[in-house]
Amino acid sequence: MLAGGIALVAWAGWQNWQQRQRALQMREETRVDLIPNTQGADADDSANGGSQLKGKSAPAFTLNDLSGNKVSLSDFKGRPLLINYWGTYCAPCKIEMPWLQEFSKKYAADGLQVVGITYDSEVGRDTIARDTKQLGVTYPILLSDPKVENAYLSGTEVLPMSFYVDKAGKVIEVSAGTGSKDQLESMIKEIIAAGAK
Amino acid sequence: MSSRFLLTNLAAVALCAGATARIGSAQLNMDAPATPKSYVLFAAEPQTIAANKKADLEIRFQVVQGFHINSHTPKSKFLVPTTLGVQPATGVKPGPPEFPAGQLYSFAFDPTGKVDVYAGRFTVKLPVVATAGEHTIDATLKYQACDNASCYPPKTLSVKILFTAK
Repeated sequence: MLAGGIALVAWAGWQNWQQRQRALQMREETRVDLIPNTQGADADDSANGGSQLKGKSAPAFTLNDLSGNKVSLSDFKGRPLLINYWGTYCAPCKIEMPWLQEFSKKYAADGLQVVGITYDSEVGRDTIARDTKQLGVTYPILLSDPKVENAYLSGTEVLPMSFYVDKAGKVIEVSAGTGSKDQLESMIKEIIAAGAK
Repeated sequence: MSSRFLLTNLAAVALCAGATARIGSAQLNMDAPATPKSYVLFAAEPQTIAANKKADLEIRFQVVQGFHINSHTPKSKFLVPTTLGVQPATGVKPGPPEFPAGQLYSFAFDPTGKVDVYAGRFTVKLPVVATAGEHTIDATLKYQACDNASCYPPKTLSVKILFTAK
């Protein structure tokens, strides 16, 4: 009789646990913050990441390129500079990178410098090098670090992010996401025209 | 700016024929805290399958409106495919997850380029053979989301699949 009672209590406890698990499951399902579908779509991100740099001096950096050489912002002093954050997983990034390559050549005589920075370095340097080679990119590709990443992106996860820096070292425009090739070229012309030498 | 997304109809999806699981209707609770920076939702629903026979559990997801994720078979080897990692569970022998076909998507600025994506609802089937009783399978969806102009880092979404085998 006693054993039967214990078994009954144990069975009831098990049933109760199962019910609580189900209730927990139902509570945990299906909720998320929505992010509107606009270009550079993460509104929470764009409120913080990158755009705060517009009108300010580009944050200094010294980063390694794919060959391990140190590259600094100061290396490009006095030149119009396009800093492009990208990721190996980012399809739009890989669409615009050949455009950046083309413009880096087209406007080389105007002093334009394009620099790519990637912060998905966990995929490894070889993967990044393979991707850039396949894309025909020859401008410097730098490996970001948390400090520089925070200075430029401020926590945003949106890629690509581009920073258009004039000859005076001021960020005159920030773009999140890929636009048209014409828009990109228009911004490049702007940083070539803007800022004192 | 953010808003809450309500999955109202997911539980009412018609049942599939054959050995698929029976899906009960679920009232989805929207009062719980939001999961930040998630682009895929999981709708947990009670399922019942036959014990000791091969049956498909249906794991239903929804990509948040305005976003898409790479399918299990994206067109490029450089893209991150959607995968489902399944943890061992006592009394359950899972087979490899079965993913739906994706749909072709082109970015407006590159109309000739095609990527293979999931958008809106998609269901992953998980074949299992389970002993009679209540079971829980822990699984993790790995995905990588983009919108119409940007992409976001790969994410994981942990899900608990509760089902009964009778």
